[in-house]
This record gives sequence, structure tokens and C-alpha cells, in this order.
Amino acid sequence: MMASLCHCPASPPHHSLSKLLSPLSRPRLHPLLSNVLPIFNPSPNRIRAGDQFRRLSSSSRSVALPPEELDSPSLGDLTRPDFPILHQEVNGFNLVYLDNAATSQKPTAVLKVLNKYYESYNSNVHRAIHSLSAEATDAYEQARNKVAAFINASKHKEIVFTRNATEAINLVAYSWGLSNLRSGDEILLTIAEHHSAIVPWQLVAQKTGASLKFVGLTKEEVPDIEQLKELLSVKTKIVVIHHVSNMLGSVLPIEDIVGWAHSVGAKVLVDACQSVPHMVVDVQKLDPDFLVASSHKMCGPTGMGFLYGKSELLSAMPPFLGGGEMIADVFQDYSTFAEPPSRFEAGTPAIGEAIGLGAAIDYLTGIGMQRIHDYEKELANYLYHSLLSIPNVHIYGPAPSETVHRAALCSFNVENIHPTDIATILDKQHGVAIRSGHHCAQPLHRSLGISASARASLYYYNTKKEIDVFIRALKDTIDFFTSFQ
Amino acid sequence: MDSAALATRLLHAIPNRNSSSPFLSTRCRPSRRRLSLSVRCIQIPNPTPGSLLPCSAVAAREAPAADRPRLRLHRLVDEFRSLPQPIDRVKRLLAYGSALRPFPEAARVSSNRVEGCTAQVWVTAALDDLGRMRFAADSDSEITKGFCSCLISVLDGALPEEVLEVRPEDFGDLDVAGMPARAKSRVNTWHNVLISTQKRTEALIAEGEGRPSSRV
Repeated sequence: MMASLCHCPASPPHHSLSKLLSPLSRPRLHPLLSNVLPIFNPSPNRIRAGDQFRRLSSSSRSVALPPEELDSPSLGDLTRPDFPILHQEVNGFNLVYLDNAATSQKPTAVLKVLNKYYESYNSNVHRAIHSLSAEATDAYEQARNKVAAFINASKHKEIVFTRNATEAINLVAYSWGLSNLRSGDEILLTIAEHHSAIVPWQLVAQKTGASLKFVGLTKEEVPDIEQLKELLSVKTKIVVIHHVSNMLGSVLPIEDIVGWAHSVGAKVLVDACQSVPHMVVDVQKLDPDFLVASSHKMCGPTGMGFLYGKSELLSAMPPFLGGGEMIADVFQDYSTFAEPPSRFEAGTPAIGEAIGLGAAIDYLTGIGMQRIHDYEKELANYLYHSLLSIPNVHIYGPAPSETVHRAALCSFNVENIHPTDIATILDKQHGVAIRSGHHCAQPLHRSLGISASARASLYYYNTKKEIDVFIRALKDTIDFFTSFQ
Repeated sequence: MDSAALATRLLHAIPNRNSSSPFLSTRCRPSRRRLSLSVRCIQIPNPTPGSLLPCSAVAAREAPAADRPRLRLHRLVDEFRSLPQPIDRVKRLLAYGSALRPFPEAARVSSNRVEGCTAQVWVTAALDDLGRMRFAADSDSEITKGFCSCLISVLDGALPEEVLEVRPEDFGDLDVAGMPARAKSRVNTWHNVLISTQKRTEALIAEGEGRPSSRV
């Protein structure tokens, strides 16, 4: 039953996903998926957690857990077996991968779907009538449906496949921005935006005469929402804003921000790269005009991202790139263009990658995004407080509390030790992979008075045990450098 | 503890005494450093700010073959290869970093920045009176300083054409602290600093010939 939940053409998904499904994490059936996912038919019998885990553990590995441990496996424990890459030694140590904000690992289910595509039905899409092309086209478009359902878009044509989130932002900047921005207009951003959300708008502002306005940080090191409200005016044409900060770990109230922006007639583009993989994101509820995310950060392949855009906006926007498949008719001196989303998908798309993204969404949906989010909140607090217990460590971003939720990542610095030195020793001497540098957020680092930071970022397949390993390794690294100072 | 004492301590901590650094023991050191290393340097008047002090061994244009960059690089490769434990290679790298000459604060400007490294790196280049390249470098990362120091130990005092002859691939066999030099990553300090020194060398050659140069 569970295997059929994750439908992929000619490629049944990884069956171990079924072990994660519970009455609390059943995927919501989206109208767009009515022809993709069979109707979920839950057992009418209530399943105790212990029963669930007994069933989970027996689904693929026949591991019999003692009764006292039946309730103990975390989501990380349960999902780790699905990620082959995590089970290796790096530099002689068991890998602890804590660079998930940069990119996530891929479950076997996704790898199998990719392999199946290239082995069985690799073909170009929307072009030929032969069977392979029809199968590839079907899978490609089903992937679009899955993305639409995942973020609760009302129409599949509101999803445009791009190479990554960066390209999606560039698409909006060059297509919508060049058509709608004029001298005197303002583009409102926060100082905490990723470079990919800043640079395209700088380039478009230079061409149009529009200007960029930046919202700063509060003393709690979160983007200042009050300042954002003050900066909003009739001059504001678009607000470009992240949902979850890739450096601060802070979460912005997008629904409120969208409401405020719309009240002055401004559009809103949400960079959801750090939220879509980790929590329920509902575009009909949040109501942004545009939203972008990246496949590789949500267990999907690289080279794939997507843009969500309200259909009336996409329909009014000119093409971003020209080429095959985005046209209606081509004449010698002019062309007419296809309707969205084809209008914005020039040339042969990343077909296998789109299908792989669809498989990743199946996998995440099978676990349940709320379940992922709840587990990551637990990890986030554990990581934050564990790091805070180390002397001379400064963590950036807000302190977690009953009302302040942090993403499961911490950017930090250790007094008198460069983050790159820390990351180097953690990797070489402990097998712990973290990021160091500016995390593509130089303006934010500058506003914090630093040039770089270290960042440990988690995903649902991480565990508290791994955080413990990281903390021990960090202490050891600090001792190593301190002994030479 | 000052950096000289640190370097000394690190060197004394090296487990394999036969593998002590030929560069750390023979290259120039600022006279104020009290390293317990044999030093054979002479100073020339008016050294270029930010450049390393020249050594007698490289004071003439006809330098011994042993002081040519590629041979120095081979010795560097051998030196790190003789340290089987990554932690010992890290310690050696830190020792190199500690031995790097203090970098003038005034030279920490954007025009001297090496782009692409995860840490901040500054490099200056100058031609000395004998027509040899003099490099200085600094970083806010100790390990990156070590990388810079190693590179300078290879390139400093070489003729401009010798600096330009060095290819990133020549560092392919160099495995410092488990960080192979061959990776052409945008965060590969070896690659970025080497390219930076070569661009600066090209610019100095162009300036000397009265040609326009685009310093990077």
C-alpha cells in the first residue's frame, strides 16, 4: 500500500519510505495529485508508536528492537539508513555531515529514480511522439504537479523549473523587474539576504534606475520588521525577502510581510530555500507573488530549482531566455511565445533532475513536513544550547524561546580562532563537515562586524548523537588552537 | 607567546626530527624573531615594504639550482610527505604560518586581497634591486597563513619568469594537512594565492616594460 503512495512512472520508489509513514504524517492529498497519488487508505486501527516502529524497523531490515527501545529512535535514526552517503568514514572518522544548508544528501529513493530514468526512459520532453518521450514527458510534468502540491500552489502552471533558486530569482528580476521597475521605484530587501537575492536586483536596478533599500537587524540579530514596515511605501515595487535565514537561523513572518507589502501595492518574492525543505510552506496561505526554492537542498538533485509565480503575473511577463520549447511560432524576424510555464523553460530542461526532485518530494511527503519540522525544532534547540555551553563561542541570530523558533542551524565564531581553521580541523581530525566563510551573505556579515563565520546546519537525518560528536570535536579543536596561542 | 616562540615550540613538537623543514631552517627570518633556527640572511638597504628580506642564497641573479621554485616545491612536497599524520602536517603548516613575516597594516587593502578564499588573504609583490620577486602575504586564518608561507617559501626570491613557469598542477603532489593542492576549487588557497602572485608578477613585468597592466 505504502509503495504505491509514491508513484513514479516505471519506477516504484524506495520502499523503506513506508517505514516512516504514520497516521500523523500522512501526506495531504492535493487536487493536482489526484491522478498521481492513489487515495491514501489508512488503517482504521490506531497504531501505537511502538507498533509503528516495530513495523518500520521490519519493513526493510528486519531489525528487532527490544521493547524498551521501541519508542526511542528519532527521525534521524529512522531515516539515516536511506542515505548511503552518510555511512562512510571521512579522514578515518565516521562522517558527521552538518552542511545541509549548503546542500542536502540524497536518499536511495531519489538515486533509484534517477537511475531508472536514465536506464529506462531517458528522452527529450514535449517534442517527440515516441513512447520514451511520452513517458519522460509524463514524468517531467508529474514532477511539476508534485512541486505544486508540495507548496500548495493552486495550478501546476504556476511552477517554472529552473536550474536553481538563483536562476529563478534572476528570471523574476529580468522578466518582471525590467518590465515593471522605473526610476524612483524601490526594491526592499533585508541585510540578511543571500547574494543570489541581492545581486540580480542590483543589476536590474542599474538598468532601470530603481534603488535598493535594506532593512537592518535588531539587537537580537533578526531582520527588523518594524523598520521594514516603515520603509514600505508607494515607491516600493517589490519586497525580496528570505523565509528562513541561512546564517541567522531566524524565521520571518512572511504572511504578515506579504500583507503589509500588498497594502502599498508591492509584490513579494520569497526566497524559500531554507524553509521549503524543512517545514510546511503553503503559498496559498502565505500569498507571496513569487517564491523560489532549490531541489538540492531538499534531497533532490543539483541543477534543479523552481519558481512559483501567481499565474496572472507569469502570464504577463516576457520571456527571460529565448530558445526551443518556449515559443508558439517563430518567424524570421519575430516570435510569439508559449504560455507559462513553457515560456520560461527555454531549451531542453533538466529532465532527470526534475523527476528526481519529484522523487525527493515523494520521500519528504512520506515522512511528513510537519514531522520533519517538529524534529528539527528539537535538534535546533539542542544544537544551540550545546554550542552555547562552550566558552568563548558566539552564536549569531536570535536565542530560541517559547515564541522564537530557530532553524536547525547555528552560525558562530570562536574568539581568536578563524572559522576556516575550525572547519579544517573538524574535517581533517574528526570527520565533521561544517561550512566556514560568509555563506553568500557578505552584507549580513559586514553588519555583524565580521568577515566570516562557521556554520553547522542540520537536516532531519541528523541526530543528537551527531551534535554531541560535533560539540566534542569543536572543544578539541578549540583546545588544539588554544594550546598554541 | 609571540609567533616566533610558537614556531619554535611547534618545530620542537614535530615527532620526526629527520623531517624538519628545510625552509623553516634556512629561509630568511626577520632579525627580531628569536627562532632557534639557523638563519643566513643579509639585509639590503631599502627593502620593499611588505616584501620578505632577501637571503644571501638568492642575492644574485644566478641563483643555485636548488633555490629554483620547482626544486623548492619538490622539497616542500617531500617535507610534508614525510609527516604521515595529518595532525603533524597541520602543526607544520601552523609553524610555517607563524614564521611568516609580519604584514604591514597599511598593506591590508582591497587591492591586495586574494579573491576566492574562505579566509581573508592579502598578497603584495615587488621586484628587488636584483630583479627577483619578493612576496609578502597574510591572512586572518592561521592555517591559511601557513599555506601562504609555504607558497612564499617556494616563490620568494625567484626570477619573474620562474614564478610564471610554476603551474597549479605542479602542486598536485602536495598534500598538506590532508588538503590536496590539486583541487581547483574556488576556496583552494593554494590555487588562488599562486594565481594571484603570478598576476602580480605579470603586472610588474608589464610595468617594467612600460606596458599597461591590469593588476588583480
